[in-house]
Amino acid sequence: MSDYTLEELMVIEAARQIRDGDVVFVGTGLPLLATTFAQRRHAPNLCFVVESGAIAPLVLPTPISVSDPKLMHKAVRLGTLREVLGCLLQRGLVDVGFLGGAQIDRFGNINSTVIGDYAKPAVRLPGSGGGNDIASHAKRLLILTRHEKRRFPPHCDYVTSPGYLHGPDARKKAGLKVTHPSFTVVTDLAVLDIDPATAQLRIAALMPGVSVEQVKENTGFEPLVANPLGAVEPPSQEDARMLREEIDPGGLYLKKGR
Amino acid sequence: MPGSPSKVMTLKEAVARFVRSGCSVGLGGQNIGRCAMAAMHEIVRQGHRDLTIYGCNLSISMDLLVGAGLVRRCESGTGNLERFGTTFSWRRGIEQGTLEVEDYSHLSMVSRFLAGEMGLPFMPVKSLLGSDILTYSSGSGFKKFDVIDNPWNRGEPVVLVPAATPDVSIIHVQKADPLGNLIIEGFATHEPEMVRASHHTIVTCEDLVETEDVRRDPERTTIAYPHVSAVVHQPWGAHPTSTYRYYDYDGDEIARYQAVAREGGEAYRRYLDEYVYGCATFEEYLAKVCSPARREELEAAMRAMI
Repeated sequence: MSDYTLEELMVIEAARQIRDGDVVFVGTGLPLLATTFAQRRHAPNLCFVVESGAIAPLVLPTPISVSDPKLMHKAVRLGTLREVLGCLLQRGLVDVGFLGGAQIDRFGNINSTVIGDYAKPAVRLPGSGGGNDIASHAKRLLILTRHEKRRFPPHCDYVTSPGYLHGPDARKKAGLKVTHPSFTVVTDLAVLDIDPATAQLRIAALMPGVSVEQVKENTGFEPLVANPLGAVEPPSQEDARMLREEIDPGGLYLKKGR
Repeated sequence: MPGSPSKVMTLKEAVARFVRSGCSVGLGGQNIGRCAMAAMHEIVRQGHRDLTIYGCNLSISMDLLVGAGLVRRCESGTGNLERFGTTFSWRRGIEQGTLEVEDYSHLSMVSRFLAGEMGLPFMPVKSLLGSDILTYSSGSGFKKFDVIDNPWNRGEPVVLVPAATPDVSIIHVQKADPLGNLIIEGFATHEPEMVRASHHTIVTCEDLVETEDVRRDPERTTIAYPHVSAVVHQPWGAHPTSTYRYYDYDGDEIARYQAVAREGGEAYRRYLDEYVYGCATFEEYLAKVCSPARREELEAAMRAMI
């Protein structure tokens, strides 16, 4: 087994969810890192899309923003926000919508707008950006976030981006075109998916050395547990080396000192 | 050019002519890319107040106007600078109740500009459904959206968002000619729709090119001159954000701004005094913060990525 941190494995495991050839609409933060890794590691034909308008760039490490010129490198087109959010995403041509998490509730809804009351916020967060659009229209949703209790409240103070809203058929009732997206949350403790019967988050697999109790302790609600429960495969030595030396050599996203 | 006078003017003149207190301003750029910073400095120096800001992602350009106390309201999809943190003046304004915001998603904002640029009153979108973006509004009395039943598929809800038509949009581009034909290189974000939806547009550019050059390669023109009111030749006009093919973002200067924006108060006022009010032109600002050697570094960093 190679020497790695769970934070690194979280990024690698999220990248593994991307298949070669997928059209991936990538939000800011850790998803940029994980998709860059996937493109170099196992999915050279993935179509990387970011909201500023870049289509299918061969991304240079390490992009820090969806408008970073590193995300424009060798793109097949540098277009507009409407082209990618409208003509690819809303049009239904995006396989994977990849978001970083602010707050995620038991139904997989995401809050990136406000902590507390909307009119008198305790903390104002950045807002939707393309997040609502991505969560509304991508066929598969992939969310990457560190596993902390405050990030997994029972209910979001504000639903910026729809998960399963409040039940299995709630998206359909709300009028969303993608009624039952595949849904995966990757954290540094576990991989979670949506239980089809209840539309609630379920622990699908554990990171190496992590217990169900540990996941529960760090979650603000009681997550369901899949049966059988899976185990996240540790990274290969090459996975870990590539992530450290090629994808985030400056430690812009991942802490140094392993 | 026959029949079409030059729109070239100084930044001071462009801002004085087309920006008014109480007007709505569309901002181009995104996050750390191609924000029209020189024009923002000029608005702050001239002190046009009570502005409504439109955009998709609003970042450091909006934050500077908010920090200088010039903004009443924002309609956008996000305020943030990603790895450099949030837009702190904006956040503080909302938390303290001094800044009004109307939250949309980026697709619904660009759809509002799309309606505006085509002379239509609204545009349908299929985002926002089921989310709290349709639950809450700024409470200003503005009708943020409507939901209708699809006339061709009864029972299917469709969101309508109102056209956005800024009084003036302000963007920084790579190339423009004196008539106001614009060549945007790299991604264009929401700018084409927003500019064409606006009553006036001020453009700052890295290079002022000949109209003959535009006519030779017309397919390169991103936005044609009827949509543009003023052209200002302003090299480095997006600093500290990047301009594709010209220079990378200046992380040190973004971080310097973010530090004072986070702190606010006296630290922020000192920043404005030193780098905005204390500079008669953007060239004076550049001379203070970005030496010729540093500019070469940022140009080389951009070249290495293309």
